[in-house]
Amino acid sequence: MPPLMSTHCLSLVRPVRKVLLAMPLLAAAATGIATGPMRLNAAETAAPAAQGSWHLTDGDRVVFLGEGFIEREGQQGILETALVASHPDMALEFRNLGWNGDTVWAESRGVFDSPAEGYRRLMSLMQELRPSVTFVAYGRNESYAGEAGLARFREQLTQLCSDLTRPAADEPTPPPNRLVLVTPPPFLPAPTCPDADTRNVMLAEYAAVIREVASANKAGLVDLFTAFPKADGPSTRFSVDGLHLTPAGYWAAARIFLKSCDHTLPAASDREIEAIRTLVAAKNELFFHRWRPANETYLFLFRRHEQGNNAVEIPQFDPLVEDAEAKVRAAVAAIR
Amino acid sequence: MQGTLSRAAWAVSLSAVFSLTGLSPARAQRDLTDIPEPDPVAERAAMTVADGYEVTLFAADPMIAKPLQINFDPQGRLWVSSSKVYPQIQPGEIANDTVTILEDRDGDGVADHHTVFADGLLMPTAVLPGDGGAYVANSTEMLHLADTDGDGKADTRRVILAGFGAEDTHHILHTFRWGPDARLFFNQSIYIHSHVETPSGVKRLNGGGIWRFLPRTLALDVFARGWVNPWGHVFDPHGRSLVTDGAGGEGIYYGFPGAAYQTAVGTPRILHGMNPGSPKYCGLEMIDGPHLPDDAQGTLITHDFRANRVSHFRLSESGSGFASEKLGELIHSSRVTFRPIDVKMGPDGAIYVADWYNPIIQHGEVDFRDPRRDREHGRIWRITAKDRPLTDRVDYTSLSNEELLGHLSSASGYDRDMARRGLWSRDPSDVRVARDRWAASLAGVGSDPEVDRLRLEALWLAQAIDRGSQDDIDLPLLKQLLASSDARCRAAAARVSVDWADRLEDPVAMLAPGVDDTSMLVRLETVRALAAIGGLQAAELVLHAVDHERDDALDYAIWLAARELESVWQPAVLAGSFDDGGRPERVLFAIQASQSGATIPWVVQLLNNRSQLTPAVIAEAENAIALYGTPEQSRLVFDVAVDRATPFERAEALLGSLLTATATRGTVPAGDLSGLAHLLHTDGGPLSVRAVEAVGVWGLTTLVEPVQVLAADADRPDWLQEAAIKALGRLPADASASSLAALADDATLTPGLRAAAIEALVASQPEAAARAAAALLATSPAEPVQDRLYRSFLSRRGGGDRLADALASSPALPRDVLIRGLAIASGTGVEQPRLTPLLESLAKGESPVTTAAMTAGDVAAFAAFVAEAGNAERGEALYRLEKLQCVKCHRVRREGGRVGPDLTAIGASSPLDYVIDSVLHPAKNVKEGYNTLVVLTADGRVITGIPVSRTEDELVLRTAEDKVVSIRTSDIDEESPGATLMPQGLIDGLSRQELADLVRYLSELGR
Repeated sequence: MPPLMSTHCLSLVRPVRKVLLAMPLLAAAATGIATGPMRLNAAETAAPAAQGSWHLTDGDRVVFLGEGFIEREGQQGILETALVASHPDMALEFRNLGWNGDTVWAESRGVFDSPAEGYRRLMSLMQELRPSVTFVAYGRNESYAGEAGLARFREQLTQLCSDLTRPAADEPTPPPNRLVLVTPPPFLPAPTCPDADTRNVMLAEYAAVIREVASANKAGLVDLFTAFPKADGPSTRFSVDGLHLTPAGYWAAARIFLKSCDHTLPAASDREIEAIRTLVAAKNELFFHRWRPANETYLFLFRRHEQGNNAVEIPQFDPLVEDAEAKVRAAVAAIR
Repeated sequence: MQGTLSRAAWAVSLSAVFSLTGLSPARAQRDLTDIPEPDPVAERAAMTVADGYEVTLFAADPMIAKPLQINFDPQGRLWVSSSKVYPQIQPGEIANDTVTILEDRDGDGVADHHTVFADGLLMPTAVLPGDGGAYVANSTEMLHLADTDGDGKADTRRVILAGFGAEDTHHILHTFRWGPDARLFFNQSIYIHSHVETPSGVKRLNGGGIWRFLPRTLALDVFARGWVNPWGHVFDPHGRSLVTDGAGGEGIYYGFPGAAYQTAVGTPRILHGMNPGSPKYCGLEMIDGPHLPDDAQGTLITHDFRANRVSHFRLSESGSGFASEKLGELIHSSRVTFRPIDVKMGPDGAIYVADWYNPIIQHGEVDFRDPRRDREHGRIWRITAKDRPLTDRVDYTSLSNEELLGHLSSASGYDRDMARRGLWSRDPSDVRVARDRWAASLAGVGSDPEVDRLRLEALWLAQAIDRGSQDDIDLPLLKQLLASSDARCRAAAARVSVDWADRLEDPVAMLAPGVDDTSMLVRLETVRALAAIGGLQAAELVLHAVDHERDDALDYAIWLAARELESVWQPAVLAGSFDDGGRPERVLFAIQASQSGATIPWVVQLLNNRSQLTPAVIAEAENAIALYGTPEQSRLVFDVAVDRATPFERAEALLGSLLTATATRGTVPAGDLSGLAHLLHTDGGPLSVRAVEAVGVWGLTTLVEPVQVLAADADRPDWLQEAAIKALGRLPADASASSLAALADDATLTPGLRAAAIEALVASQPEAAARAAAALLATSPAEPVQDRLYRSFLSRRGGGDRLADALASSPALPRDVLIRGLAIASGTGVEQPRLTPLLESLAKGESPVTTAAMTAGDVAAFAAFVAEAGNAERGEALYRLEKLQCVKCHRVRREGGRVGPDLTAIGASSPLDYVIDSVLHPAKNVKEGYNTLVVLTADGRVITGIPVSRTEDELVLRTAEDKVVSIRTSDIDEESPGATLMPQGLIDGLSRQELADLVRYLSELGR
């Protein structure tokens, strides 16, 4: 038998960057010792955390996981810019695994296979990336199923949280993956979304489930659904289609993220922040070509006997991603 | 590397030919070395153009490079999307693909201005001007780019839709077209999986299809699906869709809402194109304008880009759709670099052809980084008719609304399209006033095809400027068109009614006459509209449509509607509230369509009044129970089948349906089934065969004895004996194995029956079966018997190993039997780590695979030899030889199997050395849609085949023996991609001359 079709999402074969998992940093994270002036006070991390609170630690590798809100964030880079710029003394790494239309069942990740197989690949990918923090942003796409879908959603979101924090078989005491659950931004009124209010009634129930699951799992929470502001201008300022955010909408979301972890942007000019954002977006584009390369069919899947030799190019994005991330850090350092 | 003796001898003579002729290597994909100079004058000179037409150069590099899609805007400017990044972005490369606008300001037929409207794009496979800018396909997303400051360059960029797959970059979003209803139609190809978030939910499409999108509301749905590469789509003047496929091989296709073609996922039923055996086509346009010859009006142009041709088709109305006939070629180039891929009618009435210009196409067959991939060139050619005046160029943006409305009555499709698009871009309330006045001016005249076509334009315009209010619908006009004397207008109006259904008082009642319409086209569109509107009354009307004659597309449309409305009619049927007009056929049709047992209680009840029913209804009802009933319900049918009063034919059909239900759902009639014993001997024909089969499938051990008797009874026909042997193989081993083993070794039996016994024995006693097979193979039985023996083992998990064990300790097989085994093993798509090396070593340690040692030079030399000395007539005779098995799997002009690609046009579409390579190295180039799947079942079977269809419950494969096999999803243990089904080495025994003849025959097919 030829090997079963199972490896293509495991194409991220690069070794885990041990430097980021080095003991001193881990120790710092685990004991909550502040490593810089902008850190949260030690009490908050050492004492039982307030419900839903979260923080970033020097050396964190952060994964953004979710649906279109997250995938488009990858292109915009605004949430990431806000986080990286508000933690200027930390070496942070971000990997965006957003996928349009996705759900807690990984419905967009099956490619030629079932969603269950896509889910399995996602977990393998997470094992390779070994994030120390994962933002989990689902709920909107699931909400179309209405009242009838709530119980299933709760069950699977709980399962997802458990799977994301489960240690690998070969690593009994892995670095912890701190989860931060994110509720979806509300539907916003727009000509293409005339029934935003009605839809938000149902979305509110899904957001409530996310809050409950966050609490039950002692995960962090960013409650975009509750905290998202009303547009202070034209109704389409934050979203043109009522669903996906404009840059202004992402900045509104970014402020909620920062407030939620009690950080602020440093005093920097818009130009400086925009320069960081451009670098973040460029880094994310490189990583996109790394983890979701075009032509997967020929590179990794059932037609790899034809052009699989070209797959050697894909890991060549790794150093480019790392260089791009270094540039982000340098730009952040410049505004410190 | 070593080859067989015959191949070795052959290679020697090949090199002799090569050194003597010194011919230049042939043109091909991988081995192409003869790339022409990219001079447009020389490229033009290499074209043969149809009589009455002229071809001139409109634009070329460096103004443009690598054009992918072209579309005109209402100012008559040509928008061109281009990619140099294709097929794959390189690490470190900055994606900087472009959209360019070409203008012919002095109107001399040559582009004189160009503007790079947008750059920084990633493989923009489509561009379509509209809504103050242009929609652009950008790999995983659809963008809208606009120039707000008037400098000709896009300065805003919005993601309109995202989440489209990019699993193959010649499959990503393409073929943007405005529908007459102001929807943007766009396509994706087979390997693409898309998940698109819209305010009304996530829309998903896995596989090839056509999306339908209304930018104003972001309403998005799948219009039709199941093509491999639907690279061409055009609307006829009445809004009907015609489609081409860059791999489907069936020419022109008819698109309607819900249509599904050969690769549609999750449907057990598909439709077919109108020109089976066609090459791959890209792009599609309808000749519709007075500059071009009268007899060409309404014909279609598409591109046979592999064969460097611009092809021409004529349509005619037929049933619910069309018939399509291939005409000649408009252009045929002798240059491999001429790659026409898009075509549009232009502002002067001429035809514009985008020539991608590339010696290398595809990136499956040829390396992504092959240096011969052209990245710099590209042309737009202009086809005009000789001695006919061009049409006047119009800037539609400068016209008043009234003038634009005037153009809706134009005889030119380009005019009408631009007038519509001009009107859509205006203030809708102004357009509405003008439209209402125009529609009123058409009101006084009675129904007439030409006036009704204008009314249809008015109806579409109302649909386009609809802002969702009650006032926006034009009910009188809709009603008038539903009653038009022109069926095409009635059909189009039925489709429009769906958009307005939420504001119509009783849309279903309004559509009701359509299901009894004299035109199948109207019935088809009415049924699809009713399915979209939904509700019980709609379901009743949909099924009412089965009262009338129907062609395949109409039958499919009703079938699909019955499935879509299942949740409506099923409860009503069970509750007795479904109005079938006294015609139970309607509900029986729906049950067949839904393949569901939910309403079988109703069928059982129906049969209680047997005397009131026609024989046809009784037959259908019993059949439905047999196929979809519970064990208790299907018992009723079993009793009918074994009733001595039931005619043999009827009993045979019912048993067949019951056995199908067992195969597909695992249902076995309830109770003691030994009552079918007498059927084993009834007719001694088809009914007996069925009964014997049932004994095996249902495991009726009480009937083993009579079946054993049949199996060994030499006075019975072979096929009945064989059926009995097969049944014994299905029965528990303790009951049947000893008699099977005896049959397998019985030298008095025919080899065919012994092979059947061995096959039946493989599952329970693989070692004994393998020993018997080795002994039988040693007698050099006929080739079909050899094939059957080898396949018996290759189709079981571990079967190949068992056979290898037996062969290793048996007398050596004749060499041709060994080689045949290797060919069969290579065609299973699964590696045989023990059997293959053993057969090879027994065959004197030499691989019989002729081609292993054939270098590029050998291929080139052999191609030259084919051209010089190949004889197609002798080749055809070889092609038909049973030994070679060509006909078994491939079709030529509707004759032959469907396992492999249709070869009707292989010669026209593939260069000679590609043909040679494909014959010699079948695994190297597997055509899209012919990739195999290897399935391991829970009961140890290994089934290799090409996926035909897949639903949640079953997977259907076409095997190497051209059998369509249905596998229950629940029986599948593992699935994996397999290799080609084409056996390697079958041509091995051919002489050089014979192989040349065969290739010559293939290379002339379709020329």
